[in-house]
Amino acid sequence: MKTQQKNRICKDIKSRLYTALSKHIGPDAGWIQRHIASCPKCRNRLLLSSRVDVALQLIRSQPHSLDLLMRANCKTVSVLKHSLRYSSKAQKLKEALPEPTIFERLRKYRSAAANVAACVAILLMMKAGMFSSTEKFQNDGKNALRHYYASRVGDEIADEIFPA
Amino acid sequence: MAGQVNIAGLTWDVSIPEVLSGTQRWVLSAMQKHGPELVTMLWRILANEQDVCDAYQDTFLKLAHYQAGQKPQYVRAYVFRTAANTALSMLRHKIVERNRVRMLQTQSTTTANDLNSGLLQEKLRSCISRLPHNLREVVTLHDLAELPYGQVGKILDITPATARVYRCKAVRLLAVWMNKSEN
Repeated sequence: MKTQQKNRICKDIKSRLYTALSKHIGPDAGWIQRHIASCPKCRNRLLLSSRVDVALQLIRSQPHSLDLLMRANCKTVSVLKHSLRYSSKAQKLKEALPEPTIFERLRKYRSAAANVAACVAILLMMKAGMFSSTEKFQNDGKNALRHYYASRVGDEIADEIFPA
Repeated sequence: MAGQVNIAGLTWDVSIPEVLSGTQRWVLSAMQKHGPELVTMLWRILANEQDVCDAYQDTFLKLAHYQAGQKPQYVRAYVFRTAANTALSMLRHKIVERNRVRMLQTQSTTTANDLNSGLLQEKLRSCISRLPHNLREVVTLHDLAELPYGQVGKILDITPATARVYRCKAVRLLAVWMNKSEN
């Protein structure tokens, strides 16, 4: 039990380290970008691997026909043994169409959810008194500045700059 | 899965584990569960609908006949690895055939164009099929089936970090080969 917990913690730390390090040593890190700009060998290497990425993106973006799954299922079911071929599940498979995953289905609600989350965060901040504290800090700062000006240039000018 | 048993003149519905029932219904369950992902992966490897259907059928037939109809311990891993291997061997045959036809053609087809996306995809597929076995499996599962490194690791019985390293090596090789085939 303890070993399992240790392993979990170790795994967690490793993934956090990876995320933290990837910001500093990933391809988008500033120093790498600067180096690439000045090193022709690395630039060439990056160019070649980006070509592979483009080709992969192109392959991934090619859609297949909507009934391909249905046809593949029909073909497969037709060669399975009789008890499977005529079962209700097999009939369902013969009519199956690809369905978007739950994440894809919920994607359209993403912006709405973000707005709601922002509103909730603001409400929580108001509830926690974050805004009143900010106002208090602002007033304190203003008073300190007013006090400074009053001691240096006199109350009259300080009142002019910081009216009550 | 539910079966029916006759006791004391009455018919009772009893649940029977799929593995013990001997009906191999788990094959259909596997088709239902992994079918869409497999079809997408096969389509990306083969780019031909007829070939996709053939590879898909082959995969599930192998699953149904695995060790005299026994259910493999990790169905997902078995199905993905079998499908990828089947598709890649089909792809290799296709490439050999295509090259033979090209050699026979008198007209040279050196109309390579940087913007020809079809040619770029064809080149990449051909290069993927030439990759060493371990690298090829990682590229197929991670880049074509779009499985995360964690799942790729589970399927191939390697750690996610190893899968990352293999993928990096594969991309480096692919980049060099794609550049060579162009020159």
